[in-house]
Amino acid sequence: MYSTLDPAGPAARNIATLWWVMLGGATFIFGLVMILLLLSFTRRKGAGGEARQLRIWVIGLGLVFPLAVLGALFACGLVIGERLLARADPEVTRVSAEARSWAWSFAYEDAPGQRTEGVLHIPAGRPVDVAITTADVIHSFWVPRLAGKLDAIPGRVNVLRIEADLPGTYRGLSAEFSGAGYGGFTFQVTAHDAAGWDAFLEDARR
Amino acid sequence: MKDLLRILIAPLVWLATFSAIYGLLGLICGHGIGGTVLGLSLPRVLLITAYALAILLQVALLAVLYHPRLASRSGFVRFVSRITGWVGLVATGYALFPATVSSVCL
Amino acid sequence: MNALERHRRLTTIWASEPGMRGWVSTVNHTDLGRMFLFTAFVFFVIGGLLAMLIRAQLATPHSAFAGPEIYNQIFTMHGTIMMFLFAIPSFEGLAIYLLPKILGTRDLAFPRLTAYGYWCYVFGGAMLLVSMLLGIAPDGGWFIYPPLSGAIHSPGINIDFWLIGITFVEISAIAAAVEITVSILKYRAPGMSLEKMPIFAWYALITALMILTGFPPLILESVLLELERAFGLPFFQAELGGDSLLWQHLFWLFGHPEVYIIFLPAAGVISTVLPVMCRTTLLGYGWIVAAAVALAFLSFGLWVHHMFTTGIPHMGLAFFSAASTLVAVPTGVQIFAWIGTMWKGRPELHLPMLHILGFFCTFVIGGLTGVMVAVVPFDWQAHDTAFITAHLHYVLFGGFVFPILAGVYYWLPHVTGQRRFFRLGELAFALVFLGFHVTFLAMHWVGLMGQRRRIPTYAPEDGWTAINLISSIGSFVLAIGLAMIVIDVVLHALIAARGKRNPWGAGTSEWAMMTPPPAYNFASLPHVDSRAPLAADPNLAVRLARGEGYLATPRKGWRETLSVDIATGRPEMHVIYPANTRLPVTMSAVTGLFFLSLLVKFYWTVPLALAGVVILAWKWVWGLGCKEDLGALRVREGVTLPNAATAERSPGWWGTLFLLTANATFFGSLLFGFAFLWTVAPGWPPPAWFAGSMVTAGVGCLGALLGPVAMRQAIRANRRGDTPLPGIVLVLIGALGVAIACTAMMLQTPAPMGHAYGATLLVLGGYGLFHAVLGVLMAVFLTARVLSGFTSPARWAEFPIVCLWIDYLSIVSLLILLAGHLPGLLS
Ligand code: HEM
Ligand SMILES: [Cu+2]
Repeated sequence: MYSTLDPAGPAARNIATLWWVMLGGATFIFGLVMILLLLSFTRRKGAGGEARQLRIWVIGLGLVFPLAVLGALFACGLVIGERLLARADPEVTRVSAEARSWAWSFAYEDAPGQRTEGVLHIPAGRPVDVAITTADVIHSFWVPRLAGKLDAIPGRVNVLRIEADLPGTYRGLSAEFSGAGYGGFTFQVTAHDAAGWDAFLEDARR
Repeated sequence: MKDLLRILIAPLVWLATFSAIYGLLGLICGHGIGGTVLGLSLPRVLLITAYALAILLQVALLAVLYHPRLASRSGFVRFVSRITGWVGLVATGYALFPATVSSVCL
Repeated sequence: MNALERHRRLTTIWASEPGMRGWVSTVNHTDLGRMFLFTAFVFFVIGGLLAMLIRAQLATPHSAFAGPEIYNQIFTMHGTIMMFLFAIPSFEGLAIYLLPKILGTRDLAFPRLTAYGYWCYVFGGAMLLVSMLLGIAPDGGWFIYPPLSGAIHSPGINIDFWLIGITFVEISAIAAAVEITVSILKYRAPGMSLEKMPIFAWYALITALMILTGFPPLILESVLLELERAFGLPFFQAELGGDSLLWQHLFWLFGHPEVYIIFLPAAGVISTVLPVMCRTTLLGYGWIVAAAVALAFLSFGLWVHHMFTTGIPHMGLAFFSAASTLVAVPTGVQIFAWIGTMWKGRPELHLPMLHILGFFCTFVIGGLTGVMVAVVPFDWQAHDTAFITAHLHYVLFGGFVFPILAGVYYWLPHVTGQRRFFRLGELAFALVFLGFHVTFLAMHWVGLMGQRRRIPTYAPEDGWTAINLISSIGSFVLAIGLAMIVIDVVLHALIAARGKRNPWGAGTSEWAMMTPPPAYNFASLPHVDSRAPLAADPNLAVRLARGEGYLATPRKGWRETLSVDIATGRPEMHVIYPANTRLPVTMSAVTGLFFLSLLVKFYWTVPLALAGVVILAWKWVWGLGCKEDLGALRVREGVTLPNAATAERSPGWWGTLFLLTANATFFGSLLFGFAFLWTVAPGWPPPAWFAGSMVTAGVGCLGALLGPVAMRQAIRANRRGDTPLPGIVLVLIGALGVAIACTAMMLQTPAPMGHAYGATLLVLGGYGLFHAVLGVLMAVFLTARVLSGFTSPARWAEFPIVCLWIDYLSIVSLLILLAGHLPGLLS
């Protein structure tokens, strides 16, 4: 229901893939360290002078190995991050989300005057930019199956790109601690197919 | 005290330039500084210039730490200060690298 | 004099008073280190009990164990206690106990300051505990983000307890950090150059320097938020020109280094204990020192990785993402150097070694998940979920608790002079290790399944039930394991089974003394020319007890020691320590009165408390020094040294220098806050800029410039044998000029309650005024000292100290006047 590992949109999918790759890499490195630790208890060991040991342990395993792995990982993260940004795009639908303790209200560029409380309507299969802000304390807009989260900060508007592959209902969470009502502070995203979206906008206009 | 400074200076300068360039980015985005020079966007030119300066500064520091007259008299301090000198240079080159490729104010 | 008689005479000089009186009047580092550690572990138990409450609450869905109001207090206090009242103080305690012994000397640089820090910690911690017992504990999470923690959304006293209590406790961290820094740089055994320093001292030095530069941003923002809450100065309110992001920047500017402040001492313990457990020496000493320095600096450039979801431009995030991955490299260097050490030696599975293995397993996982959340897109998903809770416990428990337990078991024979009798520890370790991983491993997963951190409860449909139940069961196993460790330690202390003097065969000098350690540590100070003096000379303890070192003959009832040159370890000065006194505990009680008055808004006792602090501080410094020249003092056959009172750079000077480093960081953070608000806060520019007047600004500038010149004149006059008083009077006049300018700025700043701009100027002016008043007080103090004959052309150590403060005053007041007038001039 809330699982980031059951993605239903491109952003969440990218990140889920990233996670699986990182999990694989981390498991491998962890295994390597554990094996090296265990082997230290065996008698037979590659001896050699202090200088040689330094070359192996400090320079090889301590400097070069992490730098290579981390450089690659950072580059991946940078590329994926760039891809998920809310760039200008004629296809985009714009909506806005305002949080207050403890409810979300949503407005729609294509349907001025229409506001919905607790349920965000979006078209499926198209990128949507959510302009996020707050009326009181900091909150955070998060639909785990669609994309990462972005905070609602007083005095600022942050824009998050989301997209749902298929029509359906997705659960959203407010993911920044906000006091007593934080636990139950959730919302919903309803993604419509083209006809449903038109109907929603039509509905709003009436 | 001077020996301690030799060990600390390069990472310290890294910290200062790193924060300064992050501040520059904040200034550019906060005040909507835009425009172009020589066909390149002004923000990018500013950022890359600052990046290059930061690297130059680190190279200069490293040269000082390797200079026979300016380096420490203690072999140990020479060793450690040169490693931290390299740390400063590598950290500058690596951590500020996005200045050249990442999108600026998105 | 034979060894026994020397022991008796030194003991009468150094021992603390008997019975309860000794507890409050001791200034001895062994006593205070033990007291620090004991208190820290009491807080660990309290924090652990709170953790059990958290896990009880989350064990089942729809839990009705505690309502959200109470639950919020529980997890906030758990985090706060663990970070501020357990982790940092146990480092301080360990360093205070160990450093003089491992450095081969008799005490820390400023014994009374150690005691003052301890009592501030106890009183501040007690304040927080009281709030918990009354059910009005802080409830905004351990990083209490405004606006939630502002007066509008949290009107109660809960948050004030956090802001004021933690600031009070941080005084002790700053005090300990100054103390540790100066002790490591100046108070070592003769001959111990930087490269001969035991590795633990390097780690402690780096950690202390990090505290000095890491904690001031936190102290500053606590002051600012308290000013906002109590007096309506709007630093964090977006409508009034403030910015809630300013809090986050300052908090994490402190908060990330804090994590390494916690980890580095633990790494120091490992670097010390591991080679002994492997019967070898540390691989790559120089590399490890460099790695620790690199880690310290890099950790100050990572803070934005806690703010990846706040809408900062992607390039900014990328800078910090890169730096965050980079910080794993020096960590990797240390990890592999340690494994290389194990390969080099023959590891033996003693109890400390088990905990070190526990550290490896746990911390490596924490490091790997740390690298994951350093990748921006992944953090967009993982941020503020249980994944982060799991990650941070892998780092903190793995990177701090396991190493500290290794250290406890390693040095326990030193503290008690006994050996373990029952083998409870091994079983306890197994339970802790198992319990920990059962609690936290699957928690990563439930975070990725969408469980947010800090939620008081959840629904069965959410699909998180099974993992949470497993986690709660694990946590109770963990708790049982920890309880067994406590029992094991208590039994160890109670059952008198005499241990060998150096049970592990270690090479560092803390084992070259009888155990439990005598109050004076070493009957005579060793001359050290190796990183492991005890390994180089197994007979060291006996030779020192026989008086074959420095300062072997007690004289005049003085607590004597030596201080050395920083780089080479050449003996430089002879130092006389102050003896037992109740001044520190009194002074921290009066300091506590100050904070308490602010907390309960009893403002008329605030000046009273302040006056009390001033009087006690006066008494504090007045008690040092002497009225006649001591000349050169013999410290050993053929070696004589001058007393510290004749030095240009006395221990007090060094302490002042590092205190001012922290102070300058505080001031720098304030300027950063000003620049931040000015450039990025919504709601700027303010309705009106501060106009200022040329006259007051001119008076301020002249005063600022006069001070340093006059002070130097006074010093020269004194050295010539003339009276320094005219110079000192000019210093006083200069400080008054600065005070006038700052007061004018505070009075004329536009609408401090209406806009963050005016509020910031008010604080800047207040900061300047505070230092100007301090300058005046110092000038008066120095005059009194001159008149009472405490100074002479040879005894002049106090002048350079005052000079440092006056120089500092001069620089900051010029910057304040500039910052105050610049925006108005620019527009
Ligand atoms: C004794 C075993 C421990 C257990 C079972 C435990 C358990 C927990 C749990 C379940 C939470 C998360 C509450 C939530 O956000 O849902 C938490 C939060 C936290 N813990 Fe622990 N913990 C333990 C030890 C420690 C230690 C040793 C430290 C630090 C040195 C620590 C520092 C923290 C911090 C900083 C938080 C965050 C508090 C906040 O969100 O404001 N914990 N702990
Ligand atoms: Cu961090």
